Amino acid sequence: MVLADLGRKITSALKSLSNATIINEEVLNGMLKEICAALLEADVNIRLVKQLRENVRSVIDFDEMAGGLNKRRMIQSAVFKELVKLIDPGVKAWQPTKGRNNIIMFVGLQGSGKTTTCTKLAYYYQRKGWKTCLICADTFRAGAFDQLKQNATKARIPFYGSYVEADPAVIAQEGVEKFKKEGFEIIIVDTSGRHKQEDSLFEEMLQVEQSISPDNVIFVMDATIGQACESQARAFKEKVDVASVIITKLDGHAKGGGALSAVAATKSPVTFIGTGEHIDDMEPFKVQPFVSKLLGMGDIEGLIDK
Amino acid sequence: MFKMFKNLVGSKTLTAEDLEPVLEKMKDHLIAKNVATDISGKLCESVAAKLEGKVLGTFGSISTTVKNALQEACIQILSPRRRVDILRDAMECKQQKRPYIVTFCGVNGVGKSTNLAKVCFWLVENGFRVLIAACDTFRAGAVEQLRTHVRKLNALHPPERHGGQEAVQLYEKGYGKDAAGIAMEAINYARDCRFDVCLVDTAGRMQDNEPLMRALSKLIKVNQPDLVLFVGEALVGNEAVDQLTKFNQALADHSNMTNPRLIDGIILTKFDTIDDKVGAAISMTYTTGQPIVFVGTGQTYTDIRNLNARAVVNALLK
Ligand SMILES: Nc1nc2c(ncn2[C@@H]2O[C@H](COP(=O)(O)OP(=O)(O)OP(=O)(O)O)[C@@H](O)[C@H]2O)c(=O)[nH]1
Ligand SMILES: Nc1nc2c(ncn2[C@@H]2O[C@H](COP(=O)(O)OP(=O)(O)OP(=O)(O)O)[C@@H](O)[C@H]2O)c(=O)[nH]1
Ligand SMILES: [Mg+2]
Ligand SMILES: [Mg+2]
Repeated sequence: MVLADLGRKITSALKSLSNATIINEEVLNGMLKEICAALLEADVNIRLVKQLRENVRSVIDFDEMAGGLNKRRMIQSAVFKELVKLIDPGVKAWQPTKGRNNIIMFVGLQGSGKTTTCTKLAYYYQRKGWKTCLICADTFRAGAFDQLKQNATKARIPFYGSYVEADPAVIAQEGVEKFKKEGFEIIIVDTSGRHKQEDSLFEEMLQVEQSISPDNVIFVMDATIGQACESQARAFKEKVDVASVIITKLDGHAKGGGALSAVAATKSPVTFIGTGEHIDDMEPFKVQPFVSKLLGMGDIEGLIDK
Repeated sequence: MFKMFKNLVGSKTLTAEDLEPVLEKMKDHLIAKNVATDISGKLCESVAAKLEGKVLGTFGSISTTVKNALQEACIQILSPRRRVDILRDAMECKQQKRPYIVTFCGVNGVGKSTNLAKVCFWLVENGFRVLIAACDTFRAGAVEQLRTHVRKLNALHPPERHGGQEAVQLYEKGYGKDAAGIAMEAINYARDCRFDVCLVDTAGRMQDNEPLMRALSKLIKVNQPDLVLFVGEALVGNEAVDQLTKFNQALADHSNMTNPRLIDGIILTKFDTIDDKVGAAISMTYTTGQPIVFVGTGQTYTDIRNLNARAVVNALLK
């Protein structure tokens, strides 16, 4: 599974604690070094990694601590807590409500997988019996409307878009109006790829958001992204009300750690992961079971409450 | 970061212990700039090996000495041993009355088609007639995307300016067909219709996807393009290394030839989205030793540049 490699490395680092006869500063530092190296290799943001290291270190004071205390357990629990913090923003994921319209807007960097994931999500809800539709509010990318149209047609999902209207906010609004009237429950709006360095593109995103007042803004992130993710994610969050993250392209070799820093930056949970180019290559994502599985530790739940 | 190490050490011989803390910080600095972790490590090791035992000048600090050595190493990595001169090579092909063939490949969504269109624009500006082969027969809208570019490019360069002929044409056979076969038809068509250059677009694929990698190798093997360009985005982190290694490996493994066609050069895209986190440029060139032929710096036809190694290294070490 995704991030499994990272999980193995962290577990083996934690085991070094169990193998050591005494837990001293040296053992702790050795373990932290291993964990941090594994996180950095997985593209987790270096500032987050350093923070994790400091936070775990600060839990233990070797000089002041009485010998009887279970340092091993304290350290393991601290590591686990920090890892959960990395993946879990501590807010509940948005859920659509049956019987009314739920407007979902996709945003993200160029080529991250928005258009593909829009159709996947629409298909996911359609199969669960929701009345679902798609809107193409990307008027910039060559062939964008054809792409969404072909995907939607194949999946038999109603869609809206235009070859002539140049203003994405107008298309988004018209499409949402139309589908609202027709009683659609899940209305998904695809937008152009953009990046924080270009103000006009960010302004446009805001205008689309304002024209449709979405219930959920999804930030789509590519699993291969490195250290640039955090500042981009933060900028998206500052401009529009990002509430969920989807990480795509996890079918490859990428460990997805860079994309995870979007969680910290947007304070939004990962709700789905993309695992291929086909329409059903998408899985729902749940944080806690994921971390437990990642670390392969059965009794880990018990550790966090201590 | 280098500010922290401004203390003057006087004239002395550099030991591993002197260098260790500085190099440790430097490695973190490189990682923060998005250089792949193991390459950051290797770079620092090479600097250490080079400096250990050297005498430090009276006015030099360890940090500036290390920084200079690293700067030199990085510039060297970014300076190609071999230059790719597309205009010259295309001209040569033209004299031989055959089209110059370029294949664009890479993982999903990195900017292959867009930067193919930019390269096309640049070639047209330089007086070449170009055929674009739509060999992404998988991704929805891939053909229409290229058709839109061809329409826009011809509007910018109307036939009146090109002896009454369209400067750019699209060769496409829709979706679902064998990409290698379409590429071959397109190349034949380009030869028959006297196009100077044929640019072959391919579908994005993950480097671990064996059937798709095999298909790409086949396309390259049967068509023997003059230039194979790997398109990678500057946003990519540690994956840069794996992508390039495995694309090259797949081209070698599946070709069954003693001298297989491998990656000849790199297009580094989305350079406008990364601020000073320029590390991918180092990771990619370090891994292949192949030059960055173009840098993509935006979404319009003119957003394509040559790499300025010095500027990149300055941003990297800032
Ligand atoms: N392997 C793999 N490919 C994916 C996945 N999600 C998307 N892709 C591919 O990534 C590429 C880009 O996807 P798009 O959906 O066009 O990306 P986008 O964000 O809409 O791009 P722009 O609109 O140009 O910003 C396409 O080749 C998709 O097939 C995934 O989970 N796995
Ligand atoms: N900011 C920026 N965006 C770019 C650059 N190059 C390409 N893009 C954008 O990246 C997105 C994906 O580009 P494509 O050319 O479709 O990528 P691709 O590699 O052909 O994608 P697939 O064929 O689906 O694998 C589009 O939105 C492009 O406009 C660049 O240099 N800078
Ligand atoms: Mg799109
Ligand atoms: Mg393409």
